[in-house]
Parts: sequence; structure tokens; C-alpha cells
Amino acid sequence: MNFNNNIPIYVQLIEQLKTYIISGQIKPGEKLPSVRDLALKTKVNPNTMQKALVELEEIDLIYTERTNGKYVTENENTIKKLKQEYAKNISAQYFKSMEKIGYSKKDTIKYLKELGEDK
Amino acid sequence: MELLECKNLEKSFGNTKVLNNINLTIPRGKIIGLLGKNGTGKTTLIKLINNLLTPTKGTILINGKEIDIESKKIISYLPERTYLDKTMTVKQIIKFFEEFYENFDSKKAKKLLEDLGLNINQKLSKMSKGMQEKVQLVLVMSRKADLYILDEPLGGVDPATRDYILDTILNNFNEGASVIISTHLISDIERILDEVIFIDKGQIILTQDADELRTKENDSIDEIFRRMFKC
Amino acid sequence: MLTKLLKYDLKNIFKFLIIFYSLSIIGAISTRICFNIENSFILEIIAQICSGFTIAMIINILINNIIKLWVRFKNNLYGDESYLTHTLPVSKKDIYLSKILTTIISLFISTLVIALTLFIAYYSKENVEALKNFLLPIATAYGSTIIKIISSFLFILFLQFANTVQAGFTGIILGHKMNQTKIGFSVIFGYITYTITQLFALFITFITALFNKDLMNLFITNQIIDVEIVKVTIYLSIIIYTITLIIGYFINIKLLKQGINVE
Repeated sequence: MNFNNNIPIYVQLIEQLKTYIISGQIKPGEKLPSVRDLALKTKVNPNTMQKALVELEEIDLIYTERTNGKYVTENENTIKKLKQEYAKNISAQYFKSMEKIGYSKKDTIKYLKELGEDK
Repeated sequence: MELLECKNLEKSFGNTKVLNNINLTIPRGKIIGLLGKNGTGKTTLIKLINNLLTPTKGTILINGKEIDIESKKIISYLPERTYLDKTMTVKQIIKFFEEFYENFDSKKAKKLLEDLGLNINQKLSKMSKGMQEKVQLVLVMSRKADLYILDEPLGGVDPATRDYILDTILNNFNEGASVIISTHLISDIERILDEVIFIDKGQIILTQDADELRTKENDSIDEIFRRMFKC
Repeated sequence: MLTKLLKYDLKNIFKFLIIFYSLSIIGAISTRICFNIENSFILEIIAQICSGFTIAMIINILINNIIKLWVRFKNNLYGDESYLTHTLPVSKKDIYLSKILTTIISLFISTLVIALTLFIAYYSKENVEALKNFLLPIATAYGSTIIKIISSFLFILFLQFANTVQAGFTGIILGHKMNQTKIGFSVIFGYITYTITQLFALFITFITALFNKDLMNLFITNQIIDVEIVKVTIYLSIIIYTITLIIGYFINIKLLKQGINVE
């Protein structure tokens, strides 16, 4: 994984893990590797990985089973919510970019439709 | 009890103060970057901690006690130079480490050297400097130590090797141990650091959590360092 | 830990000395063979060459033994290898004791090899007879045996060499305290230490002489000395050199414990 040194590493890890979860690359209820193994895989400091996982736990995206380790939440609603949030953000950004080059929201939607029909 | 504590540490060579009023605490379980330009006292500090230099003033405590045989058992140190008996083969040196360090894992060392494609029956004198440095790193990381002190592990190696070295450090340091890495090549190493210590002109300028520093300054450690110590 | 250190120190020196040991014994055997074949002028010359070679190798053993001990001491305690030596979980005392034991053992073995070499090269009835004739008057004068005389003489020589080596160690330690890069300091301090040792020996002899008239004659007259004095001097030398060896040992350990400053 490539990191941007300007942004705290754990923030980038959180983003990465969130994307994995909402895209289904890590499935609901799936067991996560140990902190150390995850850290080794992503080539980061185990402490940083730990910090990221704690934050994910705070937003209930993962949970700890006392002795067995960490699991992705089985509550698909939580994941769905997060997914929607992401979709919203990405779209908002997209509209913003289009606006910069002179497309109004309407124009943009129209353009997207055309793009979809072309295919 | 802190793992390592330096109190009012001072070191002079003749009339030149190389280190001045160093106060430093290294907690357990952290990877710490000792960052500074060349010739700012990083190596001197490390040599003091390893008993290769005697302080002019101040104290160094390891696990709350002064440096002695016990502290040498739990510190694994990689100097910035090649320091092994070059007339020995790698195999003989592994045996040597095994005999002297109770916490040395020779199986691990052999495996790591094998992964490197090294012939352990070769004499060190027949190896390139880069190879010798890799052997040293493997030996140092094969100890189950409480504190690893790595002096310029990335100095003078190509970027591909740098990645290999960082991976070796991350993959092998003993769980719960701390690692001090001294370097001036910050951008290569900053992703793995918990804490940073900036050292300049023999003094500690800053000690902070790496991510906190990034958030505060909204920049990479490398950039922050460059700004701070612009020539 | 001491035995482990000692193992590596001994390995290091004997790996090196074995070359000279073999060469000197090969030289001795060749000398022997060539001398044994009679009526050949050429072989006679070759025998002389072999003999010269053997003697050269004997000197080589001694000089190289001593120099190698110093070089190893310096590299091990102050050179690149010091980064390993001083970070091993062993005490300074063990590090130094290992060096001293290596000194004693290697000098002892070297003396034996030299004796063996001489025996192989030059043992013959006539030579032994000549030696006996030379030593017997002295031996009988002491009420001693030739073997005892030779061994005490060798023992003194051995103590003297051990003191020399240790004076060199002190020199290296002090030289480094003064200046880390200039080796000259080590040489000067080594020489000073050696001189001090010798002056100390002389001083003790003088003190003893105050209570021994015969011995006093050594200081105040230049007459041919009495056999009796030789005996006293031999004992005295053994005692004094053993004492200086022990004192030097404790001084050096104390100096090392004050801490080292590796370059």
C-alpha cells in the first residue's frame, strides 16, 4: 500500500479498510487477521494499525470478540449507511469538479445519462 | 519503569560539546525515529546508550538501572559501520551470537539469510559491504530484544534495499519491544514511526507523536523537518 | 562467559601462530636431515640455510606472538570490532582476563614449541654434553639440577614476555584515553609502563639488597658476582615479575572499568 506522508498514516489506513469493507472485499462477519499480521501486510507499524482498528471499532464497523480477535460487523445496515455516505461524498465531489468546468448539475446528469446510453 | 531514560546527558570531546542537556524517555512498544542532519550528535547519543562512550555529565537508565551486563542482554544494537570479525564465516558468526546472546534465534537468522540468497559458509571478507550490512541487520533483528537501536540502517543503500531493510525491521522486531532508528533519510522511514525525535546541534529540539505532528502541521515529517532545519 | 571469550581469543591467535609453528618445525626437521647426511658439501650448506631458517622462525614465533596479542587487543577493544566486544553481555573484567589468559597460554605454548624445535634441530649427544658441561658447575653450586636451572630461566623469560605484553596493553588503554586516533600515544605509554615495571623490579631488588649483603654487591661493586647471588636473583625475579604481572592486571581492569571511549 502506498501512503501519502502528508496525512496521518492511521487516517489513510482507516480509509483503506473502510473501502475494503463497503466494497465487499472483506465480507460482513469476516474475521480480520491479527493486528500484527495486518500491519505486516500493509507494511506499517503495528501501533498505527491498532489505532486505526480502534477508530473503526468506535464507529461499529468492526467488533472484538474477547478472545478470538476482531470481526467485521454483521450489521449490514451499518455498512450500507457508510456506503451511502461514501457515494454521497464522491458524487458531491464529482459535481463540484464538473461545475468548475462549467457544467451545471442538470448538465452533468444529462451528460452522465448520455454516457450510459452510449455503452 | 521506563525502558530507557536519559537525564541531563552531556558529552564533550575536549572542549567541544557534542551533546548538551539531553533529556529523553523511551517507552515500551514504540518505533521511534531519531532524526537529525549528519553530525548533529545522533551517533554519539546512541554510542552513549550502548556504553561505547562515557558521558561527561548526566545519567542513562535502562529499566531504571545504570548500564550493565543486564542492559546489554536486552539491547540489540546495529552500528553504522561493519563491526564483525571479517575473518569469520557467516555461519561462525551465527554460532558466536548464539553463544553470547541467550535471546538470539539462530533458526530465524539462518532463514532470513537464506531468503537473501546468502551462502552462510562464506567469509565476511569475501562479501560486498552491502551484503555485510545485510548480514548485520539480520543478526541484530534475530535477537528477541527489548530495545533495538539501529544507527543509520538505510545509509548508503539503494531504494529497493531500503524497502527490504524496513520490511525486515517491521517483520522481525520482538513484540512489545521498542525500536530506535536514527536516520537523516526521513521520507523513506516515516510511515513506520510512532514517535519522532528531532535532534540538532547536540540538542533535542522536538519529541512528538508522528501522526499528531502531521495533523498539527498538515504536512509530512520530512517536510516539517526540512522547514525546521533549512540551511 | 569467560570460557567463551577465551575460546575465541585462543582460536584467533593459534589460527595465526600455527603457521609459524609448522614452519619452524619443518625447518627443524630439514636441518636435522641435512646435518645427518655426511660427506656432502652441498648438503652441509643447505643444512646451514635450514638452520638459519629455523632460528628465524623461532624469532618469528616470539615476535609475532607478542605483536598479534597487541593488535588483537587494540582491534577488539578500540577498533571496529569494539562495537561488538563492548556490547556483549560480559563484564570488562572477563574481557580483560580472557586477553591475559590468552597471553599466558599462547606464550607458554610458543615456548614449548621453540624448545621442541631446538630439540629436533640440534639434539645430539655432543651438544647435550657441551650444555651439561656448561651448566653443571652452576647447578652443583646451587645444589640444584640442570633441568631446574633451565626451567627457572625459561620461566623468568616467560614472565618477562608476559609483562612486556601487559605493559603494551596498558599502553594501548592509556594511549586511547589520551588520544583516540594517534597510535603513537599508545606506543609511548606502553614503553613508559614497561620502564616503570623494570624500575619497580630494580627498586624491589634494591630493597631486598638492604637485607642481603651478597645481593648488595650487585649495586655497589662491579666484581664478578658470586654464584649464590644468581640463585637469589632468580627467585627474586620470579617473585617480582609475578607481582608486577598481578599489579598490572588490576590496574588495567580498573582503567577499563572507568569506561572506554571508542572512536
